[in-house]
Amino acid sequence: MEVYLPIAEQSMNVFVLLGLGGAAGLLAGMFGVGGGFLATPLLIFVGIPPAVAVASQANQVVANSISSLQVHWRRGNVDLRMGLVLLLGGMIGSSAGVSLFTYLKAIGQIDFVIAVLYVVMLSTIGILMLVESARTYIRRRRNPEAPRGKLHTHYLVHRLPLKLRFYKSKLYISALLPIGIGFVIGILSAILGVGGGFVLVPAMIYILGMPTAVVIGTSNFQILFVAANVTFLQAATNGTVDVVLAILLILGGVVGAPIGSRLAAKLPGVVLRGLMSVLILAVAVELLTELLRTPSSFYSLGTREVLP
Amino acid sequence: MRRLGGFAALAMAVLLALPLAAQGPRIEPPASGIFGPMAGPRVDPTVPPSVPNQVETPDLIVDLSRARVSITSAFQGESILLFGMFDPPGEIVVVVVGPPARETVLRKQRVLGLWLNTGRQAFDDVPAYYFIAASQPLQRLLARSAGGEILSLEDRLSSVRSVGQREHDDLIRFRLGLVEVKRREGLYPADIGQVAIQANRLFRVELPFPSRLPEGTYEVRTYLLREGKIVAAVSRPLPVGKVGFSAQLAGWADNEGPLYGLGAIVMALLAGWIGGAVMRRI
Repeated sequence: MEVYLPIAEQSMNVFVLLGLGGAAGLLAGMFGVGGGFLATPLLIFVGIPPAVAVASQANQVVANSISSLQVHWRRGNVDLRMGLVLLLGGMIGSSAGVSLFTYLKAIGQIDFVIAVLYVVMLSTIGILMLVESARTYIRRRRNPEAPRGKLHTHYLVHRLPLKLRFYKSKLYISALLPIGIGFVIGILSAILGVGGGFVLVPAMIYILGMPTAVVIGTSNFQILFVAANVTFLQAATNGTVDVVLAILLILGGVVGAPIGSRLAAKLPGVVLRGLMSVLILAVAVELLTELLRTPSSFYSLGTREVLP
Repeated sequence: MRRLGGFAALAMAVLLALPLAAQGPRIEPPASGIFGPMAGPRVDPTVPPSVPNQVETPDLIVDLSRARVSITSAFQGESILLFGMFDPPGEIVVVVVGPPARETVLRKQRVLGLWLNTGRQAFDDVPAYYFIAASQPLQRLLARSAGGEILSLEDRLSSVRSVGQREHDDLIRFRLGLVEVKRREGLYPADIGQVAIQANRLFRVELPFPSRLPEGTYEVRTYLLREGKIVAAVSRPLPVGKVGFSAQLAGWADNEGPLYGLGAIVMALLAGWIGGAVMRRI
């Protein structure tokens, strides 16, 4: 069954899009990250223009994060103060990111930048995760009671000015750090259409040193507003948000997420992370080959301008 | 609030049209449809004067199976039947031209092992769509030169204006690149369509439109040729546009971007909230 996407201006199979949303939801449920970082490249693979894929994916992230924020908020797992500070950076970053996006689109380099950023990000995260899960796996087999390593070290964090007390996270650190992290995530969010949870969560644990319990809820809080800001700005400046595409992805995700979390409960964490890292690396390799392979056509068209 | 402006303009137009309507008979385009009366020859004012005026002599009658191409939520491309009748002898040539626009052609080049767009060339007056069909091999018909009126795609594109300066050979490569991309998208069908002639006076041809079709008013021109000369020509506009839900959404996205964005956010919030709550129950 085909559906015409009014903003992407092409028809696409409904089940392909529902499946993509479902796969992203499955990942979200399994790993607690948005899944946008896999959905966006896949949308581009099936032929959605990158600009539309990114902007519509941001819209999907809004739905995804409100859905999991619901749970974490009720359980009191949101450090509101930290969330707001991160959000300050996130808002600035995502607004700057959308302007950058508009500029890159105008000079015809947006597809290339999206692909390169994805390759760099996915391969870094994929390799880190693969190494980490392999190590844990080996260590567990040798000594199942091995203590976990120290979570964070104190160096730069404690020398920066503007220190704030974050009671829920039991931290007393400079506000500049979360603002900076929020800023970077905001840019990523705007250009790649991802929530950024898969970068934000490790950053909150390893750089800020937040307790794991509040990390997911707080990151969801910041992602919700940043994704909403990206959706709004992309719609207002580039007109690239396709709500028909977004709603299909959301529907797929809503069904996929609980299946993912049930699956996650059955599989051990190490295996899960190992699988995930292989998946991430596969997408990175595919994107990289696209960049390296001699294209079937050297030519493409930019935006059509109807002159008055 | 451009939409309010639109309403105001519409109201003005209606008010202005009223006295005109009262004064005398209004000229209306003939109704068309498969079973409707056949449209009489209509000469478009944009057709150059080289085409003889055919209003009185119905040597050539043309109609389309649909009056417009409607891009609905289920649109997957469409084939429209053009059919008609002519006074024999003669040959029929049909040219369908999409609205012109500025197209920017991007060229990829290998830089440090990676392929990225390094060259760009804009062309003005590029037709969004170009299709030719003929009842005989086109070369034979055009060899006798139909007064420079019927142009093959190559001829039509040789007249597009390049924006800015570029070396001649390179410009040709970009122009070929433009054709290549448009071919791939089905907007410049590579094959020349076959106009089928029956009973020596009836003709028909399918006009193929792909799913990624730019909007605008297309022009469908039908020529009757005798001994290489155009003896009659009929031009019909063919509007291509989104309708219904698709049109509404695209219109909002274009004209009321911020409002559309807010709507998209609210939609996502509701869907995520309700969906999440429902799925957790199951």
